[in-house]
Amino acid sequence: MNAEAATPAAGEKPEFWRWAENVWVDETKDWRSAKTLTLGIDVGSVSSQCVAVADGELYAYSSMRTGSNSPDSALNAFKGIAGQTGMTLNDVHFVVGTGYGRVNVPFSHKAITEIACHARGANYMGGNSVRTILDMGGQDCKAIHCDEKGKVTNFLMNDKCAAGTGRGMEVISDLMQIPIAELGGRSFDVDQEPEAVSSVCVVFAKSEALALLKGGYTKNKVIAAYCQAMAERVVSLLERIGVEEGFFITGGIAKNPGVVKRIEKLLGIQAMATKIDSQIAGALGGALFAHTLVQKQGPAKPLLA
Amino acid sequence: MGSGLFGQFTAWYERRHDYARDWKARTGGQVVATMCTYTPEELLIAAGMLPVRVLGAHEPQNVSEPHIFGMFCPFCRDSLAQGLLGRFDYADGVTLTQSCIQYRQAFDAWRRHVPSVQWDYYCPMPNDVQSRHAKAAHRHEVRRFREFLEQLTGRALDEAALNEAIGVVNENRRLLRALYEFRKEANPKVTGLEAVYAALTAQFVDKREHNAELKRVIAALPDREMEREEGVRLMTIGSENDDCGFMAMVESVGATIVIDDQCSGSRYFWNEVKVNGDAVAAIADRYCERPACPTKDYPEHTRFDHVLKLAQNYKAQAAVFLQQKFCDPHEGDYPDLKRHLEAAGIPTLFLEFDITNPIGPFRIRIEAFLETLREDDLF
Repeated sequence: MNAEAATPAAGEKPEFWRWAENVWVDETKDWRSAKTLTLGIDVGSVSSQCVAVADGELYAYSSMRTGSNSPDSALNAFKGIAGQTGMTLNDVHFVVGTGYGRVNVPFSHKAITEIACHARGANYMGGNSVRTILDMGGQDCKAIHCDEKGKVTNFLMNDKCAAGTGRGMEVISDLMQIPIAELGGRSFDVDQEPEAVSSVCVVFAKSEALALLKGGYTKNKVIAAYCQAMAERVVSLLERIGVEEGFFITGGIAKNPGVVKRIEKLLGIQAMATKIDSQIAGALGGALFAHTLVQKQGPAKPLLA
Repeated sequence: MGSGLFGQFTAWYERRHDYARDWKARTGGQVVATMCTYTPEELLIAAGMLPVRVLGAHEPQNVSEPHIFGMFCPFCRDSLAQGLLGRFDYADGVTLTQSCIQYRQAFDAWRRHVPSVQWDYYCPMPNDVQSRHAKAAHRHEVRRFREFLEQLTGRALDEAALNEAIGVVNENRRLLRALYEFRKEANPKVTGLEAVYAALTAQFVDKREHNAELKRVIAALPDREMEREEGVRLMTIGSENDDCGFMAMVESVGATIVIDDQCSGSRYFWNEVKVNGDAVAAIADRYCERPACPTKDYPEHTRFDHVLKLAQNYKAQAAVFLQQKFCDPHEGDYPDLKRHLEAAGIPTLFLEFDITNPIGPFRIRIEAFLETLREDDLF
């Protein structure tokens, strides 16, 4: 289910950072037979996801690149699912918007923060033993504590700068001219584990990476140094809030083993495994909240985009 | 005048420099820029002056760095910038009563480099107000300040003048307390943003005018219908805060700020001068006894219980720390004060403020914090 590098069409300039947009549908189910059908739409800074939940179970999702306008990005994410399933907004009983564009989802009935949604999504993906969630998103990262129901009990976010987040990884991918999905694997293909780059600031790290290349580092070693820096940065965030057993990582960078394994090594804790795409956790949590709201309040009238 | 019941306060706040210029033109009195709320304003008012507290403008600036460090708190840098940019060019004098060392350096740069300032006065004040010698020392300093003002104006600041000023300032304090009383009610008739406007304007508007406006508003409050929902009742804790955009955002996402422990709010006006026949002594004692700023709260941390009591009396469900970046005194108090509140069942959120603040990222933190507090239908 993980994203793969998109293959550029002939004549196009390759964009190594560009991860493939993708849609997944559980072919064993039919949404038409579901009593309750809900959506979660997560409009993030870099990617937008739509998750459909049928009778409280994951049914389909799409993961798209966020455009310049939140309402269009939300609709585009829904169209990913609609195109493959024939579902329309009239068929949906409740829509929850989340992510930084949560208040700009024109067809959502309720906006819930991505902090609450990631915790709820992680609770579904990892089970009710999940207690600490690290969400590594496109332009921020969050450390979240939750209870056995997936309700947030405490959280911390990174400060203003986007260092050490998905966008930073995209910049390094482009700089190294290596598809983003390959970075993690390559970061272990080094003769010796390098020191972390000293700055995770996207701009400074770029110049530092260039200097390392000129100094004789292989590309893989530069990537390793960047992954290590990113791991150290998020671990410092996690240590401020404390890591409890039941550690789960969500967000796009959870798919990058180069960062995840280094985080695990620094913490001395294994992240819990999941078969579900970690990038959809926020939208999944939103769709699950929507399901609960339908159970308690009944279906909402569809809002057309 | 702005619209709504609190429109006059909002208008005063938004056009505060115009107000001071106008006051000066119509009264012929001196305007004094006051830095920090430990300034014994009663003396200035008795001398016929208008104390105007220096506040920041929350705009990017590039003028303070040659004078004070970039790692001084945003309020220091913003306050100095306002002076250097000529925003207080109507102020005849500037005065500081000692609180933190960073703000003292901002004051020092003010008096050296703001050309419109004709006179300045630094009033030393013990930070160890808990010492048994503190009151005697501060009475001595307030007397010296009175002598300075008498020489400056050529006019005696006698008991009658001081007592009259005490009366005006005490009335202002009583009225602000009365306004705050309304915040104890369910779905209060005064929002946190309105309370900020009322308390902040007291710090630069002529107290007599401010008192008249407070009386008018307080008289109208019992009949006020609130059309907004209360949401979660919050307390704010910190130093100076006049980021009205932030307050408005918090109160637009399902919360009401019902009480504060900030020098821009309750700490400024909480206690009165107890008149005892020696006006200067009574004034000095009042500032030693007021709810403490962290710079003046050791060895015993008196403010921890004071803050908790405020939260409980005003039925705050949670508290938000509005921490000015690099403000060491407040950062020093934070871990223990957080524990103190949380042990009493009051959850807290920590936000770090700068000269300009990112409303979007703050909004998600506030909304997520409120979500953790609500017992809603999501589970």
